Amino acid sequence: MAMPITIPRLGWNMEEGTFGGWLRRDGDPVRPGDPLFTLESEKATEEVEGLDAGFLRIPADGPGPGDRLAVGTVIGFVVSTPAESLPSRTGGPAPTATPPADPVASPSVRRLARQHGIDLRKVRGTGPGGRISADDLSPQPASRERERPEQPRSSPRARRVARELGIDWTTIAGSGRNGRVRERDVRTAGGSQPGIGVVPLSPIRRTIATRMLESLRTTAPVTLTTTADATNLVNLREQFRAAADGPAAPSFTDFVVKLAAVALAKHPHLGGQWTDQGIRLLSGIHIGIAVDTEAGLLVPVVRDVPSLGLRQLAARTRELIGRARTGRVAAADMQGSCFTVSNLGAYGIDAFTPIINPPECAVLGVGRIAKRPAVVGDGVVPRDQVTLSLTFDHRIVDGGPAARFLQTLAQAVENPAPWVIS
Amino acid sequence: MSLTEAQRPNAVRPPREVELGLYRRMRLIRHCEEQLARAHQLGLVHGACHTYVGQEAIAVGVCDHLRPDDVVFSTHRGHGHALAKGMPPVELIAELLGRAAGCSRGRGGSMHLFAPEVGLLGTSGIVGPCILQAAGAGYSFRLLKNDRVAVAFFGDGAVNNGAFHEGLNLAAIWKLPVLFVCENNQFATEVPFAYSAGNPDVAARGAVYGMPGVAVDGNDVLAVRTAAGEAVRRARAGEGPTLLECRTYRTRPHAEGMGDFGYRTREEVEAWKERCPLRQLRDRLIATGVASDRELSAIDAEIEREIDEAYRRAESSPWPDPADAATHVYAEPRTPPAAPGPDTSRSVTWMQATLEALSAEMEANHRIFVLGEGIGKRGGNFRTTAGLYDRFGPERLRDAPISERGFTGLAGGAAMTGTRPVVDFMFADFLLDAVGEVINQIAKMQYMSSGRLKMPVLLRGCIGIGHSAATHHSGSYFPMYAHFPGLRVVVPSNPFDAKGLLHHALRCDDPVFFLEHRELLSLKGPVPEAAYELPFGQAAVVRNGRDVTVVAIALMVQRALQVCDRLAADGISVELIDPRTVAPLDSETILESVARTGRLLIVDETFGPFGLGAEVAARIADEGFDDLDAPIRRLNGVHTPTPYSPPLEAAVVPSVEMIERAIRDLVAE
Repeated sequence: MAMPITIPRLGWNMEEGTFGGWLRRDGDPVRPGDPLFTLESEKATEEVEGLDAGFLRIPADGPGPGDRLAVGTVIGFVVSTPAESLPSRTGGPAPTATPPADPVASPSVRRLARQHGIDLRKVRGTGPGGRISADDLSPQPASRERERPEQPRSSPRARRVARELGIDWTTIAGSGRNGRVRERDVRTAGGSQPGIGVVPLSPIRRTIATRMLESLRTTAPVTLTTTADATNLVNLREQFRAAADGPAAPSFTDFVVKLAAVALAKHPHLGGQWTDQGIRLLSGIHIGIAVDTEAGLLVPVVRDVPSLGLRQLAARTRELIGRARTGRVAAADMQGSCFTVSNLGAYGIDAFTPIINPPECAVLGVGRIAKRPAVVGDGVVPRDQVTLSLTFDHRIVDGGPAARFLQTLAQAVENPAPWVIS
Repeated sequence: MSLTEAQRPNAVRPPREVELGLYRRMRLIRHCEEQLARAHQLGLVHGACHTYVGQEAIAVGVCDHLRPDDVVFSTHRGHGHALAKGMPPVELIAELLGRAAGCSRGRGGSMHLFAPEVGLLGTSGIVGPCILQAAGAGYSFRLLKNDRVAVAFFGDGAVNNGAFHEGLNLAAIWKLPVLFVCENNQFATEVPFAYSAGNPDVAARGAVYGMPGVAVDGNDVLAVRTAAGEAVRRARAGEGPTLLECRTYRTRPHAEGMGDFGYRTREEVEAWKERCPLRQLRDRLIATGVASDRELSAIDAEIEREIDEAYRRAESSPWPDPADAATHVYAEPRTPPAAPGPDTSRSVTWMQATLEALSAEMEANHRIFVLGEGIGKRGGNFRTTAGLYDRFGPERLRDAPISERGFTGLAGGAAMTGTRPVVDFMFADFLLDAVGEVINQIAKMQYMSSGRLKMPVLLRGCIGIGHSAATHHSGSYFPMYAHFPGLRVVVPSNPFDAKGLLHHALRCDDPVFFLEHRELLSLKGPVPEAAYELPFGQAAVVRNGRDVTVVAIALMVQRALQVCDRLAADGISVELIDPRTVAPLDSETILESVARTGRLLIVDETFGPFGLGAEVAARIADEGFDDLDAPIRRLNGVHTPTPYSPPLEAAVVPSVEMIERAIRDLVAE
């Protein structure tokens, strides 16, 4: 039986060694412990002893002095009789394929190359042994680093909260050290303070939110404002108040609703509705009135405004507003309007940009009526004035018709009597 | 020393079957080693391979007297001891080939062999510990009142090592049933013993420790067997340990593949090969008519078949599953019943609370014993064992000489053999002399034995800076221990936690560091009288808060607590977390807290670099990155040895004021 003679591992780390030469000749009798060949490792040259007794057989295709051989390579045999035939081939573990040599470069240079997308294999190194230095990459990368503009800073938590609130934190001024944006900065910017708690959403709130977003998403809103002299309107209302004997006098909103119906009759497109087939014009003029209630914004509808006298209109709106504020308004009472009036004048608001109440074409914002200096002739006199803000859907009408509508309305406000006393 | 009657080659011969048995086992070791050397040359042994060729007579001669329940501790050259003690060859070969069927399940290789089933409690890549572990096993046998014996095999290299000195002395003063077998093969790796030893007579050293020291021809199995027989008899009879020096020679290199002739000559090796113990026995068996050449050749052939078959089975057995690479680091953890809340009707000091726990556990478990300096009659430097000596006696309250490495290593061996030592090392600084025993042996033993050995060692002592104890009585070092797999590290901050955690530690099968801050020992707190356990790895939320999370440990918990009150007045709400154990570390509780506060400060009086703060910070930055509203901060003691003078000492420990500043600064980030 032929016992293989292999390249041993000299020490723990050796993977291959350099064959020095045979110490015995082919066919020599050998005993266990006899030195058979010399082998050079990184550390030293060793005489390698055999483990078996018998006769040494050195194959013709065996290694020669100086050959590099992997640990475990079979280089010869010890056979029990001199005549014994040898296994067909020597050799051993296939030499492992050497991976293509990586260019020599330090980790920092590799990182720099990665950052700037440079393929190191295409760079010629000028350092010892072709080592690539930062200078070999190009003069720019190192200086680019220094020129990088100051970035806004923020804490990871601030960035997370900003994501959650849909806020761009880079626009927020940070209150932390070195201007770092912190969680509290984001929450302040987002109008929410941490730890105050969450108010559950009411069905009304959800409906409002949906409709407002739907409005902004589906219309092309443009707001026009104009200021009208309201002195006559104020006087006229005073007359109604002086004559009132029973229910209270009409409110400014009532006057505006009545006058808006007049303007809508002259400019019916402002009361139209967008459909994919075309602009739908409605037969009746029903106007919604925005009412601020504890539950949220409600818009009850006054039907067929042209048919109502101002006193009837006032009685009707008073009833609708009362029902809205006590939560007794029916769903049907809030449907079918072609236009909406929102009056924030009572809160000292002059002008604003109301949001269209879909599917209407336009909404009118009414500001505060207050005495302001007005130029009359060559003099400055105090006059009651009001700012009207009209938001319209530019899909349905253009700026011109909308402006003309607002002009008609402003003129009616300035001289209301012919339109309200029918 | 002259040879005794028993040591002469022509002394009373053992029965024929015994002699043939000796031959058979020596032949088995030799053939197995030759096969392993061959496998190493083929590159199939993946690491080192230290063969026992030339020394077979010693393992076989000694182990011939051992019962399966006796235990052996051995060295890096342990194949022969494993086989002589009864390890099946297939397990040895499979281990060197790295297979799951290996005696250590592929975790050990040539130098870390375990077969507790047959009493091989391990071979070690470190020189010396086997001596201490054998003494520890002897201590277990004394405590459990049985007649088992422990054997340490070691080379001449070990006798110039502190473990030899400490281990032999401990075994001698406590009369432990141990055989210390020095296999003097004349080289420690490649350094000649004649060069290393002022007095190269190992056996003569026995007298130094007050035990018999016997020298025998280690290549004569009958001489070894005879001498070992007397030593084993003495041990079983309670007469104490024996040092046996067996003079021999390894005729292969230190490790396979290493050059052999830089430090010794070919002629010398050849001369010793002529004295081959196996051939000597064979010649004598034939000359004395015990067996014929043909009979012995038949045994040889049988052994070769057996080993070849074992090799074939080992080589065809499966590799271990990489998914199991980290199993058996710890014992299966127990889940203790829920602890009661602190009993506010009863306030006791830390010392009292922990003494209650130790006392109750010792009462309930007779396998618990305490080792340390002054823990006997004196009751411990910190009154850790006050009154226990009178209740439990000297064997369970064992005063030790100042031999930290010795008694710590001994505790490891005791734990491996069924007892539960408590090492009371007084100051953490003292234990540094025994760190090798803790980390290389005690912590790794469950893993190396693939879970077949349990290591219930409690390592208990004082940590912390205070009272001008200066640098050799002020260390903490617990982050270092938490770094290593295999250890539990407990660092409580109040009497209630200390008692519950100590109860748990004394019922845990892992090695546990129980570290007590010296400035907390007289702290009083509410503590129930009855026993209760607090599990490891569960942090305590000491104070709930909103603005910043502070993780503090040991004394720093108490200091941070004072700061919480101060800051609350200014509207800064601090959540204070005490991990209580740093290994395992409950980062989940910290993570949950930081998710609310966004800010984290870690306060620890031990050194900053690579410490508790670094670990907590890294974990939270990793898992809680998006919750952080400020950088994570650490407040540590100054990175310096501890000074003596009070103003210097105060400057190196985080004070209440420093903690307060650190929190305010973090809130401003």
